[in-house]
Amino acid sequence: MTLFRIRNLCVDVPGRRLLHDLSTDIPQGTVTALIGPNGSGKSTLLKTLARQMNGSGSVIFEGRELSDWARQDFARRLAFLPQNMPPAEGMTVRELIALGRYPWHGALGRFGPGDHDAVAGAMLKCGVENFADRVVDSLSGGERQRSWLAMSVAQQAGTLLLDEPISALDISHQVEVLSLLRRMCHDQNRSAVIVLHDVNMAARFCDHVVALRGGRHVFEGTTTSLMQPDALGEIFGLQMQILTCADGTPVAFPT
Amino acid sequence: MNRNSTVSFAVPAATFALIIAVLVTELPPGRWPHLPFLPGRMVLDQIGFAFGTAPRIAIALVAGAVLGLSGAMLQAVLRNPIADPSTLGISSGAQLALVVATIFVPDLLVHGRWPIAMLGAACAAAIVFAIGPRRAFAPVTLVIAGMLVSLMSGAIATAITLSQGEYLLSLVIWSGGSLVQQDWSGVRSLGAVLVAGLAAALVLERPLRVLSIGVGGASGLGLNVAAIRFAVLAVAVVLAGAVSAELGLIGFVGLAAPTIARAIGFNSLRRNLLAAPLIGALVLSVCDSLVILLDARLGEMFPTGAVTGLLGGPLLIALLAKLQGSTPPGTENAEPAAARIRHPYRALLLIAALLLVGVVLLLLIGRLPSGWTVLDWEHFMSFLPMRLPRLIAAGAAGAALAIAGALLQRLTANPLASPEVLGVAGGASLGYGLAVFATAAPSALMLNGATVSGGIVALVLVAVFVSRRDMPPERILLAGIAVSAFASSVLAALMATGDPRAWRILGWLSGSSAAIGMTGAVTLAAVAASMWMAAAFAARWLAIMPLGAGVAGGLGVNIPRARLLLILIAGTATGVATIFVGPLSFVGLMAPHMASRAGFHGASQHLHATALIGTCLMVCADFGARMAGFPYELPLGLFASLIGAPWLMATLSRKTG
Repeated sequence: MTLFRIRNLCVDVPGRRLLHDLSTDIPQGTVTALIGPNGSGKSTLLKTLARQMNGSGSVIFEGRELSDWARQDFARRLAFLPQNMPPAEGMTVRELIALGRYPWHGALGRFGPGDHDAVAGAMLKCGVENFADRVVDSLSGGERQRSWLAMSVAQQAGTLLLDEPISALDISHQVEVLSLLRRMCHDQNRSAVIVLHDVNMAARFCDHVVALRGGRHVFEGTTTSLMQPDALGEIFGLQMQILTCADGTPVAFPT
Repeated sequence: MNRNSTVSFAVPAATFALIIAVLVTELPPGRWPHLPFLPGRMVLDQIGFAFGTAPRIAIALVAGAVLGLSGAMLQAVLRNPIADPSTLGISSGAQLALVVATIFVPDLLVHGRWPIAMLGAACAAAIVFAIGPRRAFAPVTLVIAGMLVSLMSGAIATAITLSQGEYLLSLVIWSGGSLVQQDWSGVRSLGAVLVAGLAAALVLERPLRVLSIGVGGASGLGLNVAAIRFAVLAVAVVLAGAVSAELGLIGFVGLAAPTIARAIGFNSLRRNLLAAPLIGALVLSVCDSLVILLDARLGEMFPTGAVTGLLGGPLLIALLAKLQGSTPPGTENAEPAAARIRHPYRALLLIAALLLVGVVLLLLIGRLPSGWTVLDWEHFMSFLPMRLPRLIAAGAAGAALAIAGALLQRLTANPLASPEVLGVAGGASLGYGLAVFATAAPSALMLNGATVSGGIVALVLVAVFVSRRDMPPERILLAGIAVSAFASSVLAALMATGDPRAWRILGWLSGSSAAIGMTGAVTLAAVAASMWMAAAFAARWLAIMPLGAGVAGGLGVNIPRARLLLILIAGTATGVATIFVGPLSFVGLMAPHMASRAGFHGASQHLHATALIGTCLMVCADFGARMAGFPYELPLGLFASLIGAPWLMATLSRKTG
């Protein structure tokens, strides 16, 4: 099943083309990593998929053209977490996470038991219960990132688009968050597209990889095919060495 | 780019042509006096030309440049695109000092207006700065404190002006900023200030640029954040204070010049600091030239400083579409949020109960010529029909304005947003003013009708603007400010004619609930209540919108529609309150801050708290206005500021968190 069917996608800002004629398919029910060097267009692609930016060409999400989706239906099917989280003045973690229910209850609907359950579940999954009643802006970077992630989880969308969701997390929370995403995708047939910088993390937790370089599509495939010196060399322009751990997981590092 | 360079050539050329036109109108070129100007060798009209017209043209250029520079520095250091010299209370401090000196100690003025005005500006700045150091001059704190000082001094100055009657008519003209000159001394002193200011700006440019990456990064690079901010602010204060002292209040140039500079592409700090003075000089010079030409035709004296909005307002709106987004204000978290209230809804109920008790008490207490007293039943019943409507009207207006303020501040995530930046109050005032002037004896119905239509026209304009796609909140604010500036320019021009009808407008502008009847009061209360309910229904938007378009869009909020609806609610609330009690600034701007300083943070509890606080403020203000000057009445706006400002100042300077 195809989650996103992207054909000839171009994204321009005045004076510059950010994505060049991009065509690829992102599969459903998997964790897809979006990798590439800085400025390669990863965030642009993610924002375009989330309808936060407009491009030319065609993007079909779950069988329907992106622009044909009604706002609320789209937000119920797809949650997007931007890279830079805005300040949430005076808001507690619990209140922030509850905002994730907006697509379901709308501006006026009742915040019902289902909504409460979703919020509680998201807090549990993301491990934010301990500071649920603290003000978001008073938290550490990692705690704040997990709170925002919990908001996206509470949205209960079938697809999560996350822009560097683990950039501020310690290693154990990185593993925890990525495992959570993996579980959610595999057990509940959801999908996630995440921008990641760490290829080893991508290799370990993701099923599918799309790589960009200079706004162009340079690689797509399984993590096994990614973890080859040639593929990594083409993406990052750097000689990489691949070792294999005892359990068979490949690990790449620059030579 | 090509078009830009054409424009940057054409505009100065046109300005120059205009200046020549002014000079030619004043005196035929053949009779222009030769340099150096020696009065002994000139005839009378040549002296007028050399020491009146010529320095006036020069001072327009210089003062415009000074204001543009001051505005550019303030916008950079406060990181707020709607900051200007009035934001820190500089101009109104100077004005208040002059008003006080003129009335109570006129002898002080023998040394000229400079020392007095500078003292006033310095006092205002000192109060604002006294709060600053605790938070390393964090923009949000400074801006709130500055607006408080500004509103307070403005209210006091207006109250004194009103209570003294005609004596101060000249000051009204002063506060409009007349550029009339008698010699070159003003040009020389302002020129010196400009040169010094430019030098200081160039020295401070690099630290300021470092500061623009945020406090954390800047102090990491070894920058003394508080010291740099203080220095920049001090320079900006001196610049704006000098113009106030020399010429009076010249509105809008300080705000418009840096914004226009950004809109036409002078985005980087250095280019903005250099372009803003140039644009300020051009704008003020064109305005003044037009005023001179008009004066010659009509024989009236229009204060240039007050009518800058006539040209600058439309210009700013025309250029807004090109404006690039700038750093959103409030990203620095130096102002720790006040501790949250444990049981916010209980606290709200408590406030509401206190409000009820207070209202009953205020209705019971009376001041008779013999002194204070609790009214007996007979008096109570006979006063009630007079007192109840105005109490209801004041309270409802307070709630309506406070709600409008809360909506706008959340919608734009800008702590400086207030109902008057919507332009609705400006439009309504304009309607009122035109009705007063256009008809010989306007009936109440006519006045209300004109006020309502003025407000509606302004609201429709802003709403059309907002409903265009991809409109950043910053532009909404600037559009509203431009509309307001335009409206107040027209009003100022009307008032400057010195017509006795001007007093009526001035009185209305400071707000009064005296004239309202029971029908009006109930109407106002009904509208306020329904806007309150509408806003409460929109509470979820209010929680989401401050997080920005990215998050709101991701959650499926229809952003254009949400913005439009919130603006319409805020506009209706403001308009109705303005129609009945006049345009009051304080409540709408400050009640939301008071609510969050008191610890109400959730969107819906914050809204209710804001509305209740607004109601309390205005009910107290109404009582104060009735009683303090008994048997005369004082303006409502003054009392709202006097009651609320000290309290908010205290909470700002209190250490929290």
